[in-house]
Amino acid sequence: MNTIAEHIADFLKEYQPFKNLTFQELSDIATNIRVINLEKHAVLFQNNDILHDSFYVVASGVINLTTIADAEETIINKCHEGDIFGLRPFFAKNNYMMTAKAREESIVYAIPIAVFRPFVANNSDVLNFLLESFATNSRHTKDSVSSNGKLISDTSFYVDQQSEMQYIQSLTYNNSPLKTEAHHIVKDVAILMTEAMVDNIVVCEKNHPIGIVTDADLSSKIATGRYPITETIDKIMSSPVVTVLENVSLAEAQLLMLKYNVTHLCVTKDGTSKSAVKGIISEHDLIVAQASNPGVLIKEIKRSQIPKDLKQIRDRLSDLIQNSIQKNIPISHVSNIASEINLAIIKRSVELSILDLGSPPARFAWLSIGSQGRKEQLLLTDQDSILIFEDVTPEKYRDVKDYFLRLAKRTTAILEKVGYELCPNGHMGSNMLWCKSLTDWTKQYNSWMNTPGENSNDLSSIFFDYEIVFGEPKIEEAIENVIFKNAVNNTLFFDFLGNDALKKNSPLSFFKKFLVEEDGPHKGKFDIKTRALMPLIDGARLLILNSNIKGIQNTYLRFKQLAITDSKNAEIYLSCAEAFLILSKFRTVEGLKNDDSGQFINLREMSKNDKEKMKNALTPMKDLEELIKNKFQLTQFS
Amino acid sequence: MLDWIKNINKEHPDFWKDYLTKFETKPNRFVVLSTETSGLNPNKDVILSLGAFSVVDDSVIIKDSFESVLLQYKFLEDNGLSNEFIIESKMIKMEEPKAIEAFINFLGNSVLVGHHINFDVEMINSALERLDCGRLKNEALDVDMMYRKLMDINDKQFSLDDLCDIYKIPRSDRNSSSEDAYRISLLFLKLKSRLGIK
Repeated sequence: MNTIAEHIADFLKEYQPFKNLTFQELSDIATNIRVINLEKHAVLFQNNDILHDSFYVVASGVINLTTIADAEETIINKCHEGDIFGLRPFFAKNNYMMTAKAREESIVYAIPIAVFRPFVANNSDVLNFLLESFATNSRHTKDSVSSNGKLISDTSFYVDQQSEMQYIQSLTYNNSPLKTEAHHIVKDVAILMTEAMVDNIVVCEKNHPIGIVTDADLSSKIATGRYPITETIDKIMSSPVVTVLENVSLAEAQLLMLKYNVTHLCVTKDGTSKSAVKGIISEHDLIVAQASNPGVLIKEIKRSQIPKDLKQIRDRLSDLIQNSIQKNIPISHVSNIASEINLAIIKRSVELSILDLGSPPARFAWLSIGSQGRKEQLLLTDQDSILIFEDVTPEKYRDVKDYFLRLAKRTTAILEKVGYELCPNGHMGSNMLWCKSLTDWTKQYNSWMNTPGENSNDLSSIFFDYEIVFGEPKIEEAIENVIFKNAVNNTLFFDFLGNDALKKNSPLSFFKKFLVEEDGPHKGKFDIKTRALMPLIDGARLLILNSNIKGIQNTYLRFKQLAITDSKNAEIYLSCAEAFLILSKFRTVEGLKNDDSGQFINLREMSKNDKEKMKNALTPMKDLEELIKNKFQLTQFS
Repeated sequence: MLDWIKNINKEHPDFWKDYLTKFETKPNRFVVLSTETSGLNPNKDVILSLGAFSVVDDSVIIKDSFESVLLQYKFLEDNGLSNEFIIESKMIKMEEPKAIEAFINFLGNSVLVGHHINFDVEMINSALERLDCGRLKNEALDVDMMYRKLMDINDKQFSLDDLCDIYKIPRSDRNSSSEDAYRISLLFLKLKSRLGIK
């Protein structure tokens, strides 16, 4: 017995699935381990490599699992200490479908499959864990994520957003299906089905499904005369029935129907045919479920007439977001979908107001600013918007402005009813200050950018994230041109923005402890918005304005774009992009938990693992800060 | 000088002859080793324990390892040391001749790696001399030297703990030659990839 093998066994026993094994078994496994050191960015295996004879456990460091789709590298998962990955050889024969790359210098243990397989065969807990880890969209994902969040999926393949959302959609189905027993006569059963107006009936034995009879069986076996109408039902039933668990997802149900070429699935208590029948899923249920995908939500928004309808849709969006986060769908995808829906809601609100007030006297643009402008609004946060209308003759100005103010007031009121709070700082189109003609707005931006901090203390950086929601796109273009024209070589402005970005309080103390609120209603909680997200958002905005890149409004995409244009700092940008997603996710999860904006995180309720992940996500901020300081020649005290 | 002439007619033990024939082929693995000794003088002091791991294809092979406590009765008695530790320890215990023989068989023609390996080699050589064997023929690499070469530092030596701190390899509270050998193995992997040694 060797001492080091014992240490390794000690390490392994802290983690799934090794927890389920005895120390002696672990020591045997540990004895056969190979220890591999991976330098930063070293690749352990990549897409299409031949399978290794081992799977891996991270001993220290972080390993990124990525796939390449549409020429873009997408991170599927990050493995931290104790996570397992590279399970493909257990279950499949074809080559790896992903790339494992060290994000930082890492040490991994390679456990030979041949050594581990016997333990898998003999221990169902271990097998289940591996299967769960391996399957991306298995129905177990939800419970296992909440239990320990240690699952690293292995069978990932890129799917477009639409179909990805399908995985999280649950099905509603008939949960009181017609049941009969094998000895009943076909005719009686058919009468029963006709009376109940259904096209299927489950044949049971002691409440366990043994077969199913559908209209198709009746027409092919009875109507053709192959069996007499007086036959017992078990002669014509289709058997065995395809059974599923209760919380099956839309995508999976679809898959099963295609795979077994059936039109009905039988839901049972434990998902096998040896337990009680819980319901029947028919093809029709799938069609109904598909109707509530994001695309349909948007259509519904377009048709809704009153704020109450919109509110309902927004509530459904919250469910959608919550589900997708639990199912580990990449947050960038979720926020894309969420912001499309938010956009549609705001757009519809403006439309509803116009329907009320009559058509506008001049062309205008309604811009979302702040988080919605950046397409990062996952939770119900406050609304920020501005309204720009085209220049009109002075005598008409008063009336026109009056109309647009009324329009904006109405719209913000509708949005308030939907659930978006009014902006406490009054950054809304309904505010006199932020509902102006194009000339006035041009002047406004000019003065903000050329004399920052002088006569306009209210320069809020959120005005530099905008997205057109409704109206004339040319107006948005005009404003964008003003901003970028002013930004060229405008040291003063960048100095101002830079200092603004840097003055945010740092998230961690000198001793790497989270800095929490010292007093107020959120005492003891961590302010993730101002301490962690804002610096990243501000930094990205500052750098993107400085590099004169138009049209990218999203923090994540901004960092990605910066990594391309300023390739020598690419690493910093990419880790910032990643960190931003992780932090947004923490915020969203917290927000969903408490039904608020998720600004304050209760650290006491967080697992140690999550805390570590969050701390890791905070590290790139220091680099970004340094980068900004150097780039704009700022010192802490300027 | 001319020591080898003295030895030329001497009959070596069989394991040593075996060992010598292994050098007809090229080495295909590294062996990272560490010794625990009673002191720093190769002539007077003795090895108390040996720990070693093999490194093949950039990975430490835990199974292919060597670990033994050497029972040095003479030393312990002479120094009046208690042998409680040795009795308590779960590690394999062997007498020096046996341990050295097994270790030489384990080493084969591998490239040796250690921290200040020359001292370890000297200690093993004196043990070999007591068994009427020649000196170790293996190539040897020193992680301290590797680090200094990588960093281009000539005027300073680094202890194992220093190096482990630099490469963030956790120190262990338990101190044994196996433990050290494992840490050196990790260090070696890191230095090896940085220096591009195949």
